[in-house]
Amino acid sequence: MKELKFLIAIWKTNLQSAMEYRGAFLTQVIGMIANNFIYFAIWIIFFNRFKDVRGWGINDMYVTFGVLASAFGLVSLLFGNAFTLSDIIAKGRLDYYLSLPRPVLLHTVASRTIASGMGDFIYGFISYGMSGYFTWDGLARFVLAMLLAATVFAAFLILTQSLAFWFGMMTNFSNLVLNAMLTFGIYPITLFDSYAKLILFTIIPAALMGAIPAEFIRAFTWTTLGQLLLGAIGFLSLAIFIFNTGLRRYESGSAIQIEV
Amino acid sequence: MKTFSKYWSIFQITLINSLAYPGELVGRSLMIIPFMWIFYQLWKVTFSAAGADGGMISGLTLRDTLWYLMLAETIELGRPPIARTMSESVKDGSIAYILNKPYDFLLYQFSTAMGETIFRAMLNAVFGGLTVWWLVGAPNHPEGFLIALPAILGAWVLHFCINAMIGLSAFVVEDVSAFTWIYQKFSFIFGGMLIPLDFYPQWLQTIAKFLPFSSAIYGPSRLFVTPTAEFFISVMTLQLAWIFVLVFLLIVAYRRGLTQLTVNGG
Amino acid sequence: MTSIEVSNLQKTFQTKRKAAGLSGSIRSLFKPEYSSVEAVRSLSFQMEAGELLGFIGPNGAGKSTTIKMLTGILHPTSGEAKVLGFTPWIDRQKLAYQIGTVFGQRPQLWYHLPAMDTFILFGKIYELDDRETKKRIDYLTEAFEIKDLLDVPVRKLSLGQRMRCEVATSLLHRPKLLLLDEPSIGLDVVAKQHIRDAIKRMNQEEGVGVLLTSHDAGDLEALCKRVIIVNHGQIVYEDRVSNLKRKFLTTKMVEVRYAEEVSKDYAINGVEILKVGNYGVKLKFDTTKTPVDFVMFNLSSVGDIVDITISDPPLEEVIAKIYKEVENSSLMDNPRSRKSIGTM
Repeated sequence: MKELKFLIAIWKTNLQSAMEYRGAFLTQVIGMIANNFIYFAIWIIFFNRFKDVRGWGINDMYVTFGVLASAFGLVSLLFGNAFTLSDIIAKGRLDYYLSLPRPVLLHTVASRTIASGMGDFIYGFISYGMSGYFTWDGLARFVLAMLLAATVFAAFLILTQSLAFWFGMMTNFSNLVLNAMLTFGIYPITLFDSYAKLILFTIIPAALMGAIPAEFIRAFTWTTLGQLLLGAIGFLSLAIFIFNTGLRRYESGSAIQIEV
Repeated sequence: MKTFSKYWSIFQITLINSLAYPGELVGRSLMIIPFMWIFYQLWKVTFSAAGADGGMISGLTLRDTLWYLMLAETIELGRPPIARTMSESVKDGSIAYILNKPYDFLLYQFSTAMGETIFRAMLNAVFGGLTVWWLVGAPNHPEGFLIALPAILGAWVLHFCINAMIGLSAFVVEDVSAFTWIYQKFSFIFGGMLIPLDFYPQWLQTIAKFLPFSSAIYGPSRLFVTPTAEFFISVMTLQLAWIFVLVFLLIVAYRRGLTQLTVNGG
Repeated sequence: MTSIEVSNLQKTFQTKRKAAGLSGSIRSLFKPEYSSVEAVRSLSFQMEAGELLGFIGPNGAGKSTTIKMLTGILHPTSGEAKVLGFTPWIDRQKLAYQIGTVFGQRPQLWYHLPAMDTFILFGKIYELDDRETKKRIDYLTEAFEIKDLLDVPVRKLSLGQRMRCEVATSLLHRPKLLLLDEPSIGLDVVAKQHIRDAIKRMNQEEGVGVLLTSHDAGDLEALCKRVIIVNHGQIVYEDRVSNLKRKFLTTKMVEVRYAEEVSKDYAINGVEILKVGNYGVKLKFDTTKTPVDFVMFNLSSVGDIVDITISDPPLEEVIAKIYKEVENSSLMDNPRSRKSIGTM
């Protein structure tokens, strides 16, 4: 409870500083919504011509992209530093958070808000609304699935970026797996054979951020809910474990040659 | 002559500078591999669903499509974030320090942008090319690359003009990132970066082919897989026309931005 | 011959304001309020060719804005300026060939490359021919003692070495005027001295005029013949450095050590005792009020002196005193002047 109060205080300050640049805040939010619409148009063109990809149609795309966008947006808003954690570790900027009496990981990742995330978050709901699968209990499932997908995504970011404890600066690697995660999450899952699918549930858990939540939103099944819960809890615990293990190796800024 | 060698040196020094961290350079270029792999999955399934295994959709085989997309991604991923760099230098005032040297601001920016582009694009082409080669085999027209080369350079000029305008708009708006996303998405959709424009409905194809985005992506990439003299001429004519227009607009935008800067500081 | 002539130069910026707190943020999101800030207010001064002029002031005094106007980067809101015969904001490009600039916080060297690469690039930028560039580089590397540093990537140089390379770069095209903005910022004592020596030498050998901004009084003391002190965008003091010293350096600090113990109630008429120890005394007096021989006589009458140190107060104190005096008086006749804090 105490931590929640603390988190809310951080988020409030983040929001304030984001609004400091009013024009920037508004253009980022609106711009991101427009950006997503334009991007999605390409899938409309695609499915207009080719109808479906092994049973995966445009409606499925709406739901998948919707839940992925909202989950991505939520993480950007609430845990913006998860995207640059490896930089923070490698440049020794964790010192600041370590010197404060709060849970280090939580404090670090919650300390930045990416304003455009608001646009993604809102867009996701619109996309779901346009999918033709909209129902009120579907919306409840959308929210639940989105929260679980966001957990997986945040955990995935923390997990991969924490490797910086062992390997130092790895901005390129982080970007690479992040892009892979998002791209694989959006593309129709029916494209992939079983080996590729195995990867999408484990090393790059894109299926847990796109296709599985989408399936759960369209129709409730215990299997998909189980997969999502298991994935969220599993990845989160793994991420926390890896981060804490890495933290013991943390060398602070002093031991690392900073190349600025 | 001296003027030219000035910008040539700026280009050279950025080129050398981009090699300062080779690991970084290579790491960044690896991104193209998963992209090409997923494009392959998508189009393999789509070609076979359309009953075009080994055949063509709208005049392109699966192999053509993949090589087309490889070049499109190479052009796109090779270009440096000019808009962001420029808007940052506008906002933190460092633009002022470029202005107090005796060179033209826009030509300076163009020289550095090209210096940053060359090696990035080369590595993208190498990794992307190897991936596609492994997935679908050699390109039908390897010589198409040379024929497409002028169009690739032109594509970067176009890209520079649009991005520089976006960057300079930082004089007026606080944050330009929304514009860069939207520009990127427009090149995605009207440039044919996921789907070759040939697969679009006719009316959309007609519109897209006349917009500058197609001159920056579709033109050179399509020229690579279909390197005919006739097509070369049509691509280059359209591209040069757009370069002409956009360079003009950029110069106007720059003049305005400069007034803004000198009145209200960095 | 004058190289800089400035009259009534003025620069006003518009900035956004916002009330504190979340509600303030939201309000300013929809209805921003602006207020204008006078960074430079009616500035007039002259600089002779080949002169070493110091431009001193605290952060936000308007130094950088002035330099930016003198290089033509900023247009003034009103007023006139001529630099080497050019009006900077009209002939910015032409002027650029004639002046060198160093901004302490804005390096021009390419960070990942050896300084030599930047030298060669600058040779091209200033359109020198290659032979000339080479000769010039040899000369400058000798003057700035950077011969061994030229082939090392700049990021591996120390801050002081880097700054020497920076200044050398800006002199490559034999400028008639060098504008240095905070050249000694962040440097240690030795590095500062090094850079000052090199600048002095270039001034003597090539007659290059130097306008230097700093908030380090040491730069001024070591380098400049004349000083302009600015605060809140206005000139508060302008004189030769030697006059400044004569006028304001009237207090002396004295430290004495005696062979035997000193009594606790040690005192001399007209002298402020700062500290009395077992064997030593620290005191301060004003030479215009208390004659020096009077103090010396009294000091030696107490006992056998083992050691004595007499020093001037640091110039920084003097300048701080000038700021304070001006601030107090200008506050009286213009209560709004406190608002004019620049954006540098």
